[in-house]
Parts: sequence; structure tokens; C-alpha cells
Amino acid sequence: MGIQEVQGQQGGTPAYQKKEKTGRTKGFQESFLQNLKNRDQAKHVGTSEETEAKRGVRDTQTGVNKKADKVGMGRIGAASGIRVNAAATQEALQAVEVRHMSYEESDHVRIAVTEGYTLKGKREEGEGARVYVEAKYEDGRVEAYQVEMAKVPERTEHIIEQFALETMQDE
Amino acid sequence: MEQKWSYLVDEYRAMLYRIAFSNMKNRADAEDAVQEAFLRYMREEKPIQNKEHEKAWLIRTTIHICLDILKSGWYQRTVPWNESFENAAKNIYLPYQVRDDETLEAVLRLPVHYRNPIYLFYYEDYSIHEIAGILNEKEGTIKTRLRRGREEVKKILTEGRP
Repeated sequence: MGIQEVQGQQGGTPAYQKKEKTGRTKGFQESFLQNLKNRDQAKHVGTSEETEAKRGVRDTQTGVNKKADKVGMGRIGAASGIRVNAAATQEALQAVEVRHMSYEESDHVRIAVTEGYTLKGKREEGEGARVYVEAKYEDGRVEAYQVEMAKVPERTEHIIEQFALETMQDE
Repeated sequence: MEQKWSYLVDEYRAMLYRIAFSNMKNRADAEDAVQEAFLRYMREEKPIQNKEHEKAWLIRTTIHICLDILKSGWYQRTVPWNESFENAAKNIYLPYQVRDDETLEAVLRLPVHYRNPIYLFYYEDYSIHEIAGILNEKEGTIKTRLRRGREEVKKILTEGRP
């Protein structure tokens, strides 16, 4: 609703519309908007609710990015080749320090040459089912996540979560 | 001395064999290349500084030996009689399970300047920095080859040609 009102206004274009976004951010936004659209079509929710969700996830993404910039940790879903259904998945994933685990040490490996990334997963010992996932991207970045399996939806569309599920099953 | 060589062979034989195989695509030639690399290491007069240098030296030498064999007139006039190119991915013996042999086959069909960076990055898990050191190239060059090589892999998978 808010967006339509802004577009319908007479006079000059608001300054923020002229801002150029970087390619990665733009890609994420497009991917996110597409996910949001699909979800909303299924649930038949109103436009105001959509705006709320958009704002919520954008805030979450910014938070993760800030943290990642500070400590060199992962930017969830921002990488090429990994599409994120961002809304409900942030809780299960936590960016952690990279351990540089080898393929031999991993319980499960995915090599996605055509997508430009590799994933290595290892089941963690201790309380609660957790999986350590290390992602390496074509541009040289390496990111690591800890996935709380109890919080992962059974039919998740998130690549890292799907991979963590596979790692748990791959015994 | 003998202990040192046996350690060296145990430590690197499997990995060097896979790298040689990704270039030669048949077992006998890959084994020959690895043996030759170990022999050259033994004859090397310059001291090898550390383990990382040692590994990079062996990988680089193995790749050079493979390329020399591939360029030789004898090799170009002959065809291995008992192994077909299509089975190459099944004979590479990676230390983990690869579920997508088709992609590995496509990687093995890439031109050499894309094949080695892609193979080392994805299948041997080397970083761009390490690959640049091994192949004596700039990191930017390796990044470009990874990106273009990936596009070539896609072409092979969709159109069946590099």
C-alpha cells in the first residue's frame, strides 16, 4: 500500500529511488522478493503484512552482514549460487568461525561446480543435534555456519539447511 | 633417508595420482607421471623449505610432467587400449563420495588451463591462494579461470561440447 502511494505521488521522484544498489544486494533483494511473492500467494496475506515481513528480513540481513563484516563470518544467503528462502530460516543458522575442515574430516560433501560453491558438513557432538557447515565460494570466500537441527523445518528450501539435513541422514 | 621417501610417498601418492589422472585420464600414464615426480623430487638439489612448499612443488611437477607427456608426439599417435575416456571419473578414486559423476566427467573434458584450477579448487579443496602458488599464476587469473571454467562445464553438460 505504502509503495503504491509513493509511486502515485505527483512531482519529483523521491531521492532514495535513485540510489544504485550493488549487484549482490540487488540479487538478494530479487531472490527475496520472489520468495516472498510465492509465499504470499500461498497464504493469501495482505499487502501490509508483506511490507512488515520485508522490513523484518531486511533488518535481519543487515544485522548478519554487520556482524560478518566485523569478524569475517558468513553473510547468509548472499553468495552466488545459494538461494535463500530467507523468512523463517535465520534462527536455525548461526554464522561461526571457519575451521578449515578437510573433505576427509567431513561427514558429507557437496561439490556444486556449476553453481560455484562447495559445502562440507560435520555432525556435532554434544547436546542437541547440530551440524557444522562450511561453504567455499568461487570468489574465494569461506563461510561457516552452525545449524540447529531442531529449528530446521522439515521441508526447508534453504540450501544450507537442506545440506545439514542430508548430513544428518548420511550416516 | 628411506623413511623420508616412504613418508613422502604415503603422504602424497593418492593425491598426486588423482591430479595426474585428471590430466592423463588413464591409470598407467597417471602412475608413470607420479613416479616421475617423486624421482625428480629425489634428484632436486635445491632444498625444499617446508611441507607446504614440498606439496606445491610435487603438484606443480606432476602437472608439468603430465602436460609434457600429453604434448609428446608418441602420446598423440597412440590411444590407451583398455580404458575409455567416459569411465575416467569412475577411476579417479576420490577420498569422499561424489554423487555427480557427470559433472566430474565434464570437468575432465575442459581445456587444461581451466581443468587444473577447477579440479584443484573443487575436488582437492585448495584455496585460490594455494592454486595460484601451485600453478605460478596470479590469484586474479585463477578466479577468472574458475568463473570461465564453470561456464564451460555448464556448456558441456547442456550442449555436450566444451
